[in-house]
Amino acid sequence: MPVITLYWDELERMVGASREKILERLPMLGCDIERVEEDYVDVEFFPNRPDLYSVEGVARALKGFLDIEPGLKEYSVKDADWKLEVKESVLAVRPRIVACVVRNIEITDEVIRSLMQIQEDLHWTIGRNRRKMAIGVHDLSKVYFPLRYEGVPADFSFVPLDFDEVMTVREILSKHPKGVEYAFILEGKDRFPMIIDSKDEAISFPPVINAEKTRVTENTTDLFIDVTGFDENVDKALNILAAMFHDRGGEIQRVEIVYPNRIERTPNLEPKEFAVKKKEVYGLLGFELDDGEIIRALERMRFGAEVSGDGFKVKIPAYRADIMHSWDIIEDIAIGFGYDKIEPLYPPTNTVGLTHPWFETRDLLREIMLGLDFLEVITFTLTNERVQYEAMNRNASPWKDFVPLQHPLTADHTILRTSILPSLLEVLALNRHHPMPQRIFEVGDVVVGKHNRLKVSAVITHSKANFSEIRSVVQALMKELALEWEAEESSDKVFIEGRAADVVVKGIVVGSFGEIHPEVLERFELTNPVAAFELDVSMLFDTGELI
Amino acid sequence: MMLSPIEVALIRALESGIEYSLENAAETSGISKDAVLKAAHLLREKGLADVITKSERRYYLTEEGKEYLEKGLPEERLYEVVKKGENEIDKLKEKFGREFGIALGWLRKKGLAEVDGKFIKLKKEGKFEEREVLEKVKRGESVPEKFLKELLKRKLISFDEKKEIFVKIVKKPETELKEVVRDLTPELLASGAWRGKEFLKYDVRIPSKVVYAAKFHPYERIVRECRKIFLEMGFTEIKGNFVQSSFWNFDALFQPQDHPARDMQDTFYLDDYVELDEEYVEKVSKTHLNGWETGSTGWGGEWSLETAKKLVLRTHTTAITIHYLAKNPEPPVKAFCIDRVYRRESIDATHLPEFDQLEGVVLDRDVGFRHLLGLLKEFFLKMGFEEVRFRPGYFPYTEPSVEPEVFVEGLGWIELGGAGVFRKEVTEPLGIKGKVLAWGLGMGRLAMLRLGMKDLRHLYQPDIGWLRDIPAIMR
Repeated sequence: MPVITLYWDELERMVGASREKILERLPMLGCDIERVEEDYVDVEFFPNRPDLYSVEGVARALKGFLDIEPGLKEYSVKDADWKLEVKESVLAVRPRIVACVVRNIEITDEVIRSLMQIQEDLHWTIGRNRRKMAIGVHDLSKVYFPLRYEGVPADFSFVPLDFDEVMTVREILSKHPKGVEYAFILEGKDRFPMIIDSKDEAISFPPVINAEKTRVTENTTDLFIDVTGFDENVDKALNILAAMFHDRGGEIQRVEIVYPNRIERTPNLEPKEFAVKKKEVYGLLGFELDDGEIIRALERMRFGAEVSGDGFKVKIPAYRADIMHSWDIIEDIAIGFGYDKIEPLYPPTNTVGLTHPWFETRDLLREIMLGLDFLEVITFTLTNERVQYEAMNRNASPWKDFVPLQHPLTADHTILRTSILPSLLEVLALNRHHPMPQRIFEVGDVVVGKHNRLKVSAVITHSKANFSEIRSVVQALMKELALEWEAEESSDKVFIEGRAADVVVKGIVVGSFGEIHPEVLERFELTNPVAAFELDVSMLFDTGELI
Repeated sequence: MMLSPIEVALIRALESGIEYSLENAAETSGISKDAVLKAAHLLREKGLADVITKSERRYYLTEEGKEYLEKGLPEERLYEVVKKGENEIDKLKEKFGREFGIALGWLRKKGLAEVDGKFIKLKKEGKFEEREVLEKVKRGESVPEKFLKELLKRKLISFDEKKEIFVKIVKKPETELKEVVRDLTPELLASGAWRGKEFLKYDVRIPSKVVYAAKFHPYERIVRECRKIFLEMGFTEIKGNFVQSSFWNFDALFQPQDHPARDMQDTFYLDDYVELDEEYVEKVSKTHLNGWETGSTGWGGEWSLETAKKLVLRTHTTAITIHYLAKNPEPPVKAFCIDRVYRRESIDATHLPEFDQLEGVVLDRDVGFRHLLGLLKEFFLKMGFEEVRFRPGYFPYTEPSVEPEVFVEGLGWIELGGAGVFRKEVTEPLGIKGKVLAWGLGMGRLAMLRLGMKDLRHLYQPDIGWLRDIPAIMR
């Protein structure tokens, strides 16, 4: 989630409130304060509120929230004669473009700082790293209208930002730092999006890089902004930027976008209307509020609101990118009203508690194992084939036995375990320096095929740990579980031959026990004998339905 | 008075007032030297015996001492030479070499000579007894203390010390000695021979051998506590597989398919696909695309069935709760899940690729956000957090969303989990009737608070020393 740096002098001036007041109330608007410094505050805003990724946006929201300037803010857009033609050739690559012109804006350091921050955060959030949406900001005086947006071949060339020589699209994608970074978005394409002005010079190669010629400097007074992508996410981003420059005193002018089959005029900063029923509000909040209270709450969140029939007509400002459903508005009513003013009430929902057999079985086994003087441990279920099988002298195959991860992060964690015993041997290896004897156990999940199974495993280690010691434990455990069982010679190579037994219940092998083979002990760097057992509890009991 | 059998044996065997060496005492009493010593110490504590340590010194000549015995001490030799008239310091230095300084030093110290310009002048007749003393030491004869001290200081003699322990019975108890019972044995019980005897008293202050309790993992104690709270509040426990479809992990929760949380970067995907229930799929996909009948705009764009079928290691227990609610869509339902989840994250002190999550859901018709806050307040109160407050939060599948904070002495307000009401885009396509109040939290954070842990890795890579040490009782 984006962390925005807000400078106190700027924020206090724009909001018209002290930093103490702001710090106290800002979290109740919905954010996490990351750090508070003398000059600035770092605030993490949620991904559903990209309009708060700039000081202008935060100031706007706070002025409503602090009752300094509640209600809908009007945004005017002037008509002008800016035209941009969308060519057929770009539709298959990056089909949508919106744009606006900003006049009479003083490009101070503050504005540059804020613009760079919001551009980066919008690219990450709405833009999904520029894939879905990318922004270009230009010095209007260097842009010659009318513009065209078209798909160009890879040998098309221009001077990209931060370079002083002409480069082809192909060169940019392999050599320019931004080209290398964003080449993945255009992978496999034979046409590349390009905005070209009436002098036949490129001004922008979205979503990668602008041209050097339209660079914004401290002498810039007017801006041309383009936003490219696929769907309404481009409108969301443009509206947020336009509102931000409007708040800075700039005049927003419309650009006519001429598609092969239609004409759009952007930006559209008219608020959208949403009807919210009172019943819906009361139902979701769980309590009733009078109309005035609801309207005040909405205005604090900078909506326009009036009573209409059995509900409210709510005007959603164009910069709000997150309102998909009336519930999104009701949440803002709750925030505007104040979470701290809502009186919590325990729900009347009357039900009877019920345990799940899985955990009941697990608890029973844990009780028995504690009674047999074993210390409980818990371990990771992520492991690897080396530990689970190779070190254990065991074999297994992916999917049939174990679940392999498609993109493991480390060599230690490549599969889900099918057996707990190797994890316990790893624990013993980590604990060789502690006094002997050591007796530990785990009752937990393994995943065989794609399904969880419940297993129990225990190990005993000391200088004389042996077969009969672990057999006593298995005998006692099976007795407590009231299970008739037999021990048969086991071929499990993790144990010493002739000191390994399978636990057989009704003719089915449900586990094994024995003395761990010295070869295995060596691999786990264990220096004392180990006797161990493991049982598949899911084979013995109904552990209930798993979702 | 209570005496142990060995004490009795010793006190009976030895005569009072006589010092016995250990060997002697052992021989006389017929018990081992170690036992004699032990018994003697016990008797001494009761004022019945003395344990006397005597040390004997045997003096011998050092190499230097042997040399001087043969040649005479340097000062003696210098004296003789000067007496013969050779008194020029420079020449004497040449003759005596490094011994000159020692020799002159001693002559002056003994007041036999003084330096007069470049010459040594004798002051009186010299008498040198040291050689005789050295001779006596060599022969092992006794020597006055003052000489020994001086010679030791000059490192002309040295000694070996030999310690010997003697036992002396100071007095014998007046009353008749009773034999005390040390170990109560089945034989003593059977014969009744313990009757009339006294039991040896132990020093109860001495700690015994350390043993460790077999016990639950401390973290499992916290899990049990949470589970108990849910059950007390009337919730049904549910359990699901670790391997889930992307559909139940993401799509059913209205997470758009291009959401960053669904990135391969953050989620462990498996290279396999699973068939999905068509009825659910149709409504969920429509909701993603255009909101279906939920009143939502939906996400627009495209929705891929293939993407939804792909298997993942579940990234949250909500994959289980939402599926359970889809199967049990009629209110009232209260369910909880405390179980393992996976995130594709590098391990460090506060991040693990797998950890446990706690989650509770309430499905009912006439409940709302206020009731969610009521639930949270009650739940945290039962966990021992008396002060709870609420801030707006954001989770993709809840609206409204809330971040509860609890007050912890010494730490202040701590964010503990997240909560919200499931969006209609989540509940309606699955046929869930009513509103779902949901909250969850990472058990690791709770463990850190409750167990004072700084490093979460210790939970799953257990140190047996830590497990043995940490008390079963919880703060």
